[in-house]
Amino acid sequence: MPEIRTGNELMTESAVASINFREAALKLLPEGANFEACLTCGLCSSGCPASGLENMDPRKFIRMALLGMDEELSSTPWIWCCTLCKRCQYVCPMNIDVSQLVYLARGNWPEDKKPSGIVRSCQLTRSSDSTSAMGMPPADFVSVVEEVLQEVRATQLAFRQLQAPIDKKGAHFFVNQNSREPMNEPEEMVPLWKIFDVVGADWTYASKGWAAENFCMFSGNEEAWREVIRKRVDAVNELGCEVWLNTECGHSYYSMWHGIERFGLQANFRLESIVTYYAQWIREGKLPVNSRWNANGIKFTVQDPCMIVRKAYGDAIAEDMRFVVRTLVGEENFVDMQPNRSANYCCGGGGGFLQAGMTDHRRAYGKRKFDQIAATGAAYVLAPCHNCHSQMHDIGHFYGGHYGVVHLWTLICLSLGILGKNERIYLGPELRG
Amino acid sequence: MSAEPRHFTTQLAVIGSGIAGFAASIFAINRKILTAQVGNTGAVAYTTGYLDLIGKLGGAAGLVTDPWQALESLRETEPKHPLCRVAAGDIQQAFAEFTDFLGACGLAYSAPGRSNITALTPVGTLKQTLCVPATMAAGPRALAANAPCVIVDFRGLKGFSGAEVVANLRARWPHLTTQRIVFPGMERGEVYPEVMARALEVPATREKLAEALSGVAGSARVIGLPAILGMHRPDHVLAELERLTGREIFEIPTMPPSVPGIRLRELFQQVLPQQGVTLIPQQRVASLSFDGDSATLALSDSYGPIRIHAQAVILATGRFLSGGLEAHPAGIREHLLDLPVTQPAGRADWYRERYTDPRGHAIHRAGIEVDDSFRPLTREGHRHHERLFAAGVILAHQDWIRGRSGAGIAIATAFKAVTEAERFLSGR
Amino acid sequence: MSSGATTLETEVLIIGGGVTGTGIMRDLALRGIHSLLIDKRDLCAGASGGNHGLLHSGGRYVSTDPAAAMECRQENALLKRLAPQCIETAGGLFVAVEGDDPAFAEKFPALCRNAGIDCEELSPGEARRLEPVLSDKLFKACRVPDATIDPFHLALLNVDHARLINGSVYRPHTEVLRFEMADGEIRAAICHDHLHNRPLTIRARQFVNAGGAWAMNVARLAACADVHLLYAKGTILVSSDRLAHHVVNRLRPPGDGDILVPGGTVSLLGTTSTRVDDLENVSPVAEEIDRNIREGAAMIPALAGARYIRAFSRVRPLLQAAGNASDRAASRGFALLDHATQGIGNFCTITGGKLTTFRLMAEKTADLVAGRLGNGEACTTATVPLPDDEACSWTEPGTALKHWHRDSDPDDMILCECEMLPQSAIEQVFAGSPGIEQERTLQAVALRTRAGKGPCQGSFCGIRITSWLYDQGCYRDATGLAHLRDFFDERFKGQRSVIWGQQAAQMELAEALHCGLLGLDTLEGDR
Repeated sequence: MPEIRTGNELMTESAVASINFREAALKLLPEGANFEACLTCGLCSSGCPASGLENMDPRKFIRMALLGMDEELSSTPWIWCCTLCKRCQYVCPMNIDVSQLVYLARGNWPEDKKPSGIVRSCQLTRSSDSTSAMGMPPADFVSVVEEVLQEVRATQLAFRQLQAPIDKKGAHFFVNQNSREPMNEPEEMVPLWKIFDVVGADWTYASKGWAAENFCMFSGNEEAWREVIRKRVDAVNELGCEVWLNTECGHSYYSMWHGIERFGLQANFRLESIVTYYAQWIREGKLPVNSRWNANGIKFTVQDPCMIVRKAYGDAIAEDMRFVVRTLVGEENFVDMQPNRSANYCCGGGGGFLQAGMTDHRRAYGKRKFDQIAATGAAYVLAPCHNCHSQMHDIGHFYGGHYGVVHLWTLICLSLGILGKNERIYLGPELRG
Repeated sequence: MSAEPRHFTTQLAVIGSGIAGFAASIFAINRKILTAQVGNTGAVAYTTGYLDLIGKLGGAAGLVTDPWQALESLRETEPKHPLCRVAAGDIQQAFAEFTDFLGACGLAYSAPGRSNITALTPVGTLKQTLCVPATMAAGPRALAANAPCVIVDFRGLKGFSGAEVVANLRARWPHLTTQRIVFPGMERGEVYPEVMARALEVPATREKLAEALSGVAGSARVIGLPAILGMHRPDHVLAELERLTGREIFEIPTMPPSVPGIRLRELFQQVLPQQGVTLIPQQRVASLSFDGDSATLALSDSYGPIRIHAQAVILATGRFLSGGLEAHPAGIREHLLDLPVTQPAGRADWYRERYTDPRGHAIHRAGIEVDDSFRPLTREGHRHHERLFAAGVILAHQDWIRGRSGAGIAIATAFKAVTEAERFLSGR
Repeated sequence: MSSGATTLETEVLIIGGGVTGTGIMRDLALRGIHSLLIDKRDLCAGASGGNHGLLHSGGRYVSTDPAAAMECRQENALLKRLAPQCIETAGGLFVAVEGDDPAFAEKFPALCRNAGIDCEELSPGEARRLEPVLSDKLFKACRVPDATIDPFHLALLNVDHARLINGSVYRPHTEVLRFEMADGEIRAAICHDHLHNRPLTIRARQFVNAGGAWAMNVARLAACADVHLLYAKGTILVSSDRLAHHVVNRLRPPGDGDILVPGGTVSLLGTTSTRVDDLENVSPVAEEIDRNIREGAAMIPALAGARYIRAFSRVRPLLQAAGNASDRAASRGFALLDHATQGIGNFCTITGGKLTTFRLMAEKTADLVAGRLGNGEACTTATVPLPDDEACSWTEPGTALKHWHRDSDPDDMILCECEMLPQSAIEQVFAGSPGIEQERTLQAVALRTRAGKGPCQGSFCGIRITSWLYDQGCYRDATGLAHLRDFFDERFKGQRSVIWGQQAAQMELAEALHCGLLGLDTLEGDR
């Protein structure tokens, strides 16, 4: 266990106006699931990977709120270690959701005191119509997609007619794209295009509102969060698409789904996760994946991104995900981590933790996830979420693990025998071929 | 996300996620009854792992060693007690089915025997219980044999002191000693049993712990630990640690937040859906209504409203902790159906003067009335509805806490409710 | 003087460890007089430990007892200056609501001014801006300098200071069984040490009866028949939440449920007044609870639905005044009896009074006792500040919180999660809090800290602290568990009458843990 540096690069003195947390809790939390209902049993702290960081835990947070320690709660850096995963609420017999007050505390910090990585990402998101946290403007996105598409058409014979539509009015699916791929690893966009091609999906990207990250939500900035969601909702409404399809990113889904409701926005479309469609297409036979490629019996496990499972769809999508994974890797080669589904642990990649610059804390947080993965003995973790992906990758290296982390699209294309040579960067040598 | 309700149709709906609710689902699975189970899971996380049938009788001072005989005695003295309304043979079978199910899931239990087992508590007192998990079994054996045993506790673990256990058991178990070690990787700060238990699912952690245990065990042939022997595969973790240390090992349940309860909760939430139960484990039922054809449960999750249509319903919503009953200054209410609650005349009669009065408190005997088919009764003594059954500690005329009979009441009455529901369902 | 001896010697034996007794101990020490303070239980076991914690401005007494009102005003100001660490200057309001006597309310400001009490009249709107929880049926409001005081902290610091000055000693669990008398004087008090279960003789030149409600009993041991007390039981409720920042008083003749006092993060609502004969077995009853809530809700409606975590009852000693119908009209002033008419020259009794005027009561008593000893020193408690000592301060809600913020150490385990009490606090209490030297027990810790005072009322922390005490070697056998059981039984007395709603859920879990698992209801051995 590494020696933990506290988050001293952030706040230590209270330069923050105090929130009255007790009153705030009364307003935000439902009756019966309020701080008053707390039995101080400790199930939340016991089940929270952020317990112990900054000498804080969820139970302490509740007690401190009720004891009127508003200054301390308003200034503790712990609020950037809690990833807002809501596991505390999940295990609490009274359903008390501490994350809502943590979120409130985030928004209360002055912008110049918040973790600069998160703030910067929010600024970049607002800086152009892309709503990209890496600040990639629409024109650049369009040209990267074009370039990569041309390359694929030229070098992969089976896909010389591959499409990657942008701004196609009336397409059925409005597909979001996490900024990481077009910015850093553009080839990683391709497997998804291929999947759409195989199933004959009517889809489009958009030049406006194509990205779906939302560090404005992570920075607790209501205004900015609303602004970004509104832009995206407008973009989907404008193109007249029936479904906003969230690809393999956790908080993209949650921030959009919850944001629409929270801000009362008019969405003329449904929100769906790509995982639901993977499952559906496999069942319909449109995506004829199978596990024959895994003749050597490589073991896989799967991560339940908090933002899609526990915080949003619940166990239903976790079941769909497992159906997809079992079909892909072979029933006998899938080892579920424990706990799992809605009871799974946050890996520590969400909530802006990866961008907060609190590396020691983030890795300490991630130890439980590392242990979960290690206990499965799996060679790979499948993760339909970018932040989970990055975090599990990082803690794997840090704690000396021997597992890889891959997206579902990679394995789907591998199974179908259509994975390009340069679309294998996350596969180990035995699979890279 | 839509406001359109999702509909589920089932034969049996179980309301409640405690031992009674989960037991009902197990019995339903075994009888191939299509089942949906709903309820706010939480209180089951507080269970200790011990499965009590009857641990104490009425105002008697001592603890019960033969629960079956105690049951006979109860039939004389408290005929309305829920356990008295289930045949002894059924109770035996219910426990056997329940523990067999858990054993098949990697959580082995001692089979229900002819007498109680004298088991350990985290403060060094002793408790009488019917079934203990395999992970705890070596403790009672070692106690009975006065075997050389060391209780190992951990730096940073609050509320569990090996010194306390030894100080209170010394007279009865002279060969009991204690040692403190540091859990591998947890040298600083507070440590939680849950975190230790999950860490022990990793082979490397087991090896390090085994080394530390062997380092302090000395001549002890048995090692006692707070309950940390794994979360998902406790039998495997136990076997591995015994192999690595060459000694027998057992665990003792701790104060909350305690591992055995979390184990059960996670086990049920994973296994029941695999066995075909529609499980919605985090939501309270908002309303329950009956029409000519079926019963309808209304609830919702973060995704929207849900409606469950069932042919039969078992109400197993528990008491105050789980919200099945509510204690208002003016009286105790059952809030889902407003069933009449048998209760003391007024609030002043709920509790005796002394907390630890051996006779217990009248508030715990309050509850709903059922007929012999375990269907709840109206004020006039009629069945509330032919489709409605009830099980668990929501029932009147028992004190599960002082009687040390929580699991027994839950399992036995769930069994009875399911068999009655099955009879009703097959009669349609 | 060595502890463990069967005879102890001192100049003055003070019987009764309430605030007054500890105040006398300190006053005497400042005059160079050595004393031994004993209590049959522990500090503040009587009325001192079971009140609102109100440091009266005096406003409450301006209509019934102007002299007492003035005393309160003076002592209030003195204590704020001399013992600020025990006091929160919350400020007070007097409010009259629809149905209260407008004439009474009208007279109030003038009566305050006559007694020299600052009284600022506020409009109902102003009052409700200060305290939004106030009823909208409020028609008159006045602001007065009420404050709150922690009697446990105060008593500990008094004893601590006396110990520091001249080694004066406090012994808890020491009960006077009888006096040895000769030639019109008490020679010794024959006591029983309940802690070690053995007799103890205390020889002294002067004997002070500061027994509070027990003063009549103690006086009779010395064959003094001139102490006449009435016993009035008062019941107070504690809410889990601090509902108002100020002390809020009902602006009407004193009655039930007409004061709400803040106590750190909770509020205390009370009180009732019922005549009783039995001093020992007082517990809140449902009727008293309901009455407090009903009356209190007239001025603060939120009290009707508030969550209450406990209620407690204590007995107030009232000096019997001939021909008075109401106990509230009986004097809340104090009386110092020199027992001259009883033929004993070295015994005195101080009784009646209130928390706010303890210092004055102690001064008068110490004047008498010092005079009898031929000590000419004047009282200095009106000028010498009460020194602070962190080991005594853990009874205050804010101490643990300040400590956490300042010293936050992950290895300093928090043993009471509700009140954020770390094990280092208990270590400090062991090292420096008076009266715990021979008694490292759960009860002694609980009295000197806030352990068990939060919403769980000790159900979890009692277990954690007991485990820790075993780890420290303070308990080495089944005694620790007997103490744990007794601790829960004791706390239950406070919880019993307010168990409904949320509390019923908490109690079910607690009882399942304590009895169902731990078997504290079936411990072997004596109770």
